[in-house]
Amino acid sequence: MLLLVFGLSFLSFFPSLSLSQHFAPTRTKPHHRISVSLNLKQRKQREEKRRMMMKLDTSGLESFSAAVPSAMAAAEDQLFAPPSFDLPAGCADFDKFQMEAKQTLKHAKGTTTLAFIFNQGVIVAADSRASMGGYISSQSVKKIIEINPYMLGTMAGGAADCQFWHRNLGIKCRLHELANKRRISVTGASKLLANILYSYRGMGLSIGTMIAGWDEKGPGLYYVDSEGGRLKGNRFSVGSGSPYAYGVLDNGYRPDMTVEEAHELARRAIYHATFRDGASGGVVSVYHVGPNGWKKLSGDDVSELHYKYYPVQPTPVEHEMVDAPPA
Amino acid sequence: MSIFEYNGSALVAMVGKNCFAIASDRRLGVQLQTVATDFQRVFKIHDRLYIGLSGLATDAQTMYQKLVFRHKLYQLREERDMKPQTFASLVSALLYEKRFGPFFCQPVIAGLGDNDEPFICTMDCLGAKELAKDFVVSGTASESLYGACESMYKPDMEPEELFETISQALLSSVDRDCLSGWGGYVLLVYAALLTPTEVQEKILKGRMD
Repeated sequence: MLLLVFGLSFLSFFPSLSLSQHFAPTRTKPHHRISVSLNLKQRKQREEKRRMMMKLDTSGLESFSAAVPSAMAAAEDQLFAPPSFDLPAGCADFDKFQMEAKQTLKHAKGTTTLAFIFNQGVIVAADSRASMGGYISSQSVKKIIEINPYMLGTMAGGAADCQFWHRNLGIKCRLHELANKRRISVTGASKLLANILYSYRGMGLSIGTMIAGWDEKGPGLYYVDSEGGRLKGNRFSVGSGSPYAYGVLDNGYRPDMTVEEAHELARRAIYHATFRDGASGGVVSVYHVGPNGWKKLSGDDVSELHYKYYPVQPTPVEHEMVDAPPA
Repeated sequence: MSIFEYNGSALVAMVGKNCFAIASDRRLGVQLQTVATDFQRVFKIHDRLYIGLSGLATDAQTMYQKLVFRHKLYQLREERDMKPQTFASLVSALLYEKRFGPFFCQPVIAGLGDNDEPFICTMDCLGAKELAKDFVVSGTASESLYGACESMYKPDMEPEELFETISQALLSSVDRDCLSGWGGYVLLVYAALLTPTEVQEKILKGRMD
């Protein structure tokens, strides 16, 4: 629309410029209009010429595919049909293509993260393995993201998605602080993120995150995911190893624990999940969010934890799973 | 995930000086869930011949039972143990019998042949033999294993060094695979000069995640 407006105004300028060139101020003779009188034939010719010039050449846009039902017409169709090209592979059935594209990301929630509220604040813990199908791509991924000094987010699902949107959330929280001269609440921050994720619903984002923090109302914990869900709660675990972590966490949880006990519970829960789940492993990181903000409590290698909890007993070599006695 | 990645496995066999070593991981899983950490994948056929079977665990166990049966029949008829090369042909034939509905397992065969010459070979699930002079690998961690063995292997290693090499290759490879690991099992066989063949079995302490 803008272009059209520009075009019109440009056209209106142009004739005036040309006129002023003709009517130079240093003209000596007075100007008189010359009236041209044409006969009918010349007038008709002039009009034809104008119409020809005015008429746009639309021969390229005409399609001859109308109602001539003959073999010749079919050939003509191919010759004169508007240019076409094959749709790219996968776009013939776009819904199925999009479903398949999302399926390739389905495995991506291979991780274990957990968070719980107790009387001394919030404990947040996660493993550090990134896997692509069966391949371990990294054993040292930071899955607990520091949104700001008193709020943490956990990463499960697509790493890029989580990193980007958590950073984006941090920016929005800071803007809120500057605009309102007070810190944003955990409720508000989780709502901001949930609304953004809801607007991208169905487009293949893969995020299962927990927002944990301490605000004026005390400790806060929300679960937010890329399907647009947002839940408030006291205990959450997200990822492929979450069933195993829930088992240990639910068993050992008490609302009145010391920070040390809560730390050990979280560490134990993640350790058990890494033992049973193939897609979790690496290093257990445990954070504590208190009234003064978050603090990292520990980062233990899971394998070392195993031999600490279950030291090796010297035993003879086992002979299991053998039905027939050896020959 | 494919059927070969349903249970998860890692197998490697290496040749040294008048000795061979065969090693496997110890995990049995159901896709991502670990069900057992003491699963046996390397089986003895006779004193100087061992077979490791990777892939679907049920097919590995069935294949082993069929092979033990066939070898016992052979022993009754021929009154001697099978040579490793003959055994490899037997395994290949048994696998190809099921060409249009195969066993989903990939064997690794290791044995001492005539003159205490170590012999190793591997096959795909249809019985295509691949003889090698240095090392053979199989399982979900096979690509990592190829890389690790290629860089760590030296020809004509003594038994202690061979044991060290194969253990390090196995552990570092399964640490890059979600579906195998949780410990390792190494079996080393060498033909000593005066005593009959010596066999050492060791369980490796690996990452349990």
